[in-house]
Amino acid sequence: MIQLILFLLVGALLLLSLLLFAGRNSGAEGTGAALVEAQQALKTLQRGLLPAPIVSRIFAADDLEYVRRNAPQNIQELFSRERRRIALDWVRHVRSEVIRLQHFHRETARFYSELKMRTELELALNFAALALACRALQIALFLRGPYPAPRIVEAATAAAVRICSISEISLAFLTPPGLTAFDKQSIGPAA
Amino acid sequence: MSSSTTRMDVERAVDDVRRRTLSRIPRPLDQMVYLASMRDYNTGLYYHDGLAATYTQEVACEALAECHREAFRRLLEGSLEQLVGQLESYAGSTHTNPRDFIATWKKLEPYRVTVPVETEPLSAELLFSNLKIALAILESRSDPRQGAQAASPRLSPGQ
Repeated sequence: MIQLILFLLVGALLLLSLLLFAGRNSGAEGTGAALVEAQQALKTLQRGLLPAPIVSRIFAADDLEYVRRNAPQNIQELFSRERRRIALDWVRHVRSEVIRLQHFHRETARFYSELKMRTELELALNFAALALACRALQIALFLRGPYPAPRIVEAATAAAVRICSISEISLAFLTPPGLTAFDKQSIGPAA
Repeated sequence: MSSSTTRMDVERAVDDVRRRTLSRIPRPLDQMVYLASMRDYNTGLYYHDGLAATYTQEVACEALAECHREAFRRLLEGSLEQLVGQLESYAGSTHTNPRDFIATWKKLEPYRVTVPVETEPLSAELLFSNLKIALAILESRSDPRQGAQAASPRLSPGQ
C-alpha cells in the first residue's frame, strides 16, 4: 500500500514538473514572438507611416490647390476620392500598428524592461490620446475628406512618434546586442 | 570581406552610379524606371556588368538598390504638379503618341513594377494613386473637350 502511494506521489511530481517545464517554454516562445511582432510594428511605423515627408504628402493642400486650378470636375472628384482612401488607409495602419505595440507593452515589456511609473503613465496617456485622435480623424476623413483636420493629423502623428520613442527603449532593453546587430545588417535603409 | 569594407564599397559604387549615370537622367521618375529595368523580375536582384566588374556583383546590386530607393523617395516627396510635369516629359521622351502612352499606362499600369522591393505598401499606394491622377490630368489636357471644363465648379476643401 505504502509502495503504491509513493509510486503515485512520484508520478504526480513528475507530471507536475513536466507541466511546469512546458509552461515555462511556451512563455519564452510567447515573449520572443511578441518581441518580433513589436519590432516589426515599430519598423513599419518609423519607416513607412510616420516620416514627415510621407504624412505631409498625403495631407498636402498644395496638391488640392493644383488640381482645383488645373483639372476638370471629374478629376477633382477622382483626386478627392483617392486622397480620402489613402488618408483612411494611413489612419487604419497607424492604429493597427500602435495596437500591436500596446499589446506588447501590456503583455511583455512592462514586466521585463523596468519602465518607470512615470514613463508607463506617459505611455498610457499617449496610447489613449492616439486612440482618440485616430477615431476623430477617421470620422473627419470619412465626412469631410483629408484636408479639414490638419491639427488632428499633427496630434495623432506626435502621439505615435512618442509611443515609438518609448517602445524603442523597451525593445532595446529586451533585445540582445547580437540580435540588434543582425537586425541592422539584414534590414536595408528605408525606401 | 568585413561589413565595413562592403559598406564603403557600396557607398563608392552609389557615388559612381550617381555621377556617371543618374546625373544624365535628372528626373526621379525616369531614374526609377531606369533602375527598375536593371532588376531581374524573378529574383529582385539588380545587374550591371560594368559596376560588377569594378566592384562585385553583390556590391553593384546593393548600390543600385540604394539608388532605386532614393529615386523612389524623391518622386514620392514631390508635389502632384511636379509629378504631372515629370510624367509629361517622360511620355515625350518615349517618342510615342501621347494618347497611346496614356492609354497604355492606364490599362497596364506598368508603374506598379517600378517601385523598390522593400517599399512600404502605403508609400507605394500613394505613388500609384498620384500617378493615376497625373495620367487623368494629362489625358484631359490632350482632350480639348475635357480641358475646357477645368474652370468648372470646384471642390471645397471639405469634399
